[in-house]
Amino acid sequence: MNKQNQIADDKKPVVAMHGITKRFGGVVALDGVDLSAYAGEVLAIVGDNGAGKSTLIKILTGVYQPTQGQITLDGKPFVMGNHSDAIAAGIDAVYQNLAIADHLTPAENLFLGSELTSSLMGMTVLNNKRMKEEAARVLKDRLGVQLKSMDVATESLSGGQRQAVAIARAVRHDNLRVLVMDEPTAALGPQETARTLQLIKTLRDQGLIVIVISHSLDDVFEISDRIHVQRRGKCVGVVKTSETTNEEVLGMIVGAKQAA
Amino acid sequence: MTNSEMTNPTPIEEPKTLATKLEPYVSFIGPMAMILAIGLFMAIAEPARYFRFSNINQILLDAALYMPMAMAMTFVITQRGIDLSIGSVAALSAIIMAFLIKQYGFPAPVAALIALSLGALMGLINGLVITKFKVPDLIGTLAMDLVYRGFALVIAKGLVLARFPDMVTEIGRGQALYFIPTPVVIGLITLAIGYYVLTSTHFGRYTIAIGSNPEASEMTGVDVDRHRIYAYVLMGTMAALAGIMLMGKLNAIQATSAPYFNLHVIAAVVVGGTSLFGGRASIIGSLAGVLLLSMMINALVTLRIEFFWQSVASGVVIIFSVALYTWLQKKDRDGSGGLSAILANPTNSKTFRLAVLIIGILIALLAIGAGFSGEVKPSG
Repeated sequence: MNKQNQIADDKKPVVAMHGITKRFGGVVALDGVDLSAYAGEVLAIVGDNGAGKSTLIKILTGVYQPTQGQITLDGKPFVMGNHSDAIAAGIDAVYQNLAIADHLTPAENLFLGSELTSSLMGMTVLNNKRMKEEAARVLKDRLGVQLKSMDVATESLSGGQRQAVAIARAVRHDNLRVLVMDEPTAALGPQETARTLQLIKTLRDQGLIVIVISHSLDDVFEISDRIHVQRRGKCVGVVKTSETTNEEVLGMIVGAKQAA
Repeated sequence: MTNSEMTNPTPIEEPKTLATKLEPYVSFIGPMAMILAIGLFMAIAEPARYFRFSNINQILLDAALYMPMAMAMTFVITQRGIDLSIGSVAALSAIIMAFLIKQYGFPAPVAALIALSLGALMGLINGLVITKFKVPDLIGTLAMDLVYRGFALVIAKGLVLARFPDMVTEIGRGQALYFIPTPVVIGLITLAIGYYVLTSTHFGRYTIAIGSNPEASEMTGVDVDRHRIYAYVLMGTMAALAGIMLMGKLNAIQATSAPYFNLHVIAAVVVGGTSLFGGRASIIGSLAGVLLLSMMINALVTLRIEFFWQSVASGVVIIFSVALYTWLQKKDRDGSGGLSAILANPTNSKTFRLAVLIIGILIALLAIGAGFSGEVKPSG
């Protein structure tokens, strides 16, 4: 774990948000938030409801545009008009509801919206065989997940497997550098949670930045390298997971304690 | 922990019950079982007349009319849509085609292509009404049904247009290959194309995705509205094709033709296992559904049951098949506890009491009426 801390100390952040402010009408959702993420780390974002976690990651993934502030990618200013810009730059997200079409197979979901095609008599048709092989390869090589059958509807899979499919959809893009996960374990049982946390570590070890929003401090302490604490639209502290305690973070979330 | 250490987690145990194994085939087995049941019943009741070559030909000829529409309706329903305007689309495009041929001397093939294009245009209007004006599909297509039917009446008035060139009657009732009617060939080709489109094109894939999870489709970059419009355009085109086939079959057309296309086609598709709740499509099931309805209606005719019973039978088949599929799907999520458990539920017991009350009132009124009954005086 020491290695991780050094990375955070020595290297420049891959992606950074500087002084991000977001107002919705008169409501200030974010107030001058800084955030930086380094290659190969799991950064947890914690905070109470309404602390601005979701708004923060929606700005990071291009869904919202900040009212003020700047995002830099590899130190260069970077402006996103929409979510597609973020994906093109290597930033993608897995949402809590996973955005999966239950009646499609895992491979069909993995390639939904960006299907592999081939040409048949001048017509563009789907290349189902290649998508199936490619999906199985991404699931196995990147996530270490092997489904019993690739031909079943995704609704018949377990919660963890469904999540793996949603993650695989993001990971499939070779240029992916930052994966944002919104409450990845909220809907899962204990076993599935353990598997998903393991999956996050696997991705981290592959050099990805994984940014995890979570309400479960137990999960956060198990997987994260650093913890970013939001409170009422402001960042009240960023702590290294190895140097803090559950109580301290909880204190920061509820406002009893301020990090140095 | 390294990557290799965590690969191959023990495959998560999936309970493989008989129901889950059969699940993919239910849509096909259901109608097939019913077709067999009808066949078996007729083999006992009226084998000579039902299985006569000319009668089987007639069943296929009746079914063929609905095949193209059932194919298109499978797409519409899979996207969680519905199209109630198809009967009027068929009538209006066929009437315009008839006028072009009879009144303006258009060659039949050109007139037929114009009719198909008009059907596509009407489907496009339906799609725009639903996606752009945000009129719910049920109301939107019901209203457009009135509009198209109205135009048909305006154009044709009470006229029956009859006697068309050979090409038209060939489409409607020709015998393409010795014993297979031309419309059956047309119908099967449209179904085959539909199957291919469903499994191997963007439109087919997005049709299932949109019906399964519209929000997820939107989030993954699928143009939901555009692909919904495609489905209605396909539906309109196929309805126009059915209009041409009907015109050829009868060698006549009028503004009030094809009144119940919508319910018949929806019934066939739903009986075939395509889910009204979206996401689950079965083209083969739709073919089976079309055959089943035609066999059933033909059986009623063969048994010399009054024509009006057809309506009763069609409705009952729709209700039972939808209820059956819903029950099949629900059962693997939560077990049902049998009839006594259903009645023990307070909401259900109140409904039950209401049913008893209504039936009781009916019986009482009938009894009172019977008490006064005597000599029937002719009214007026």
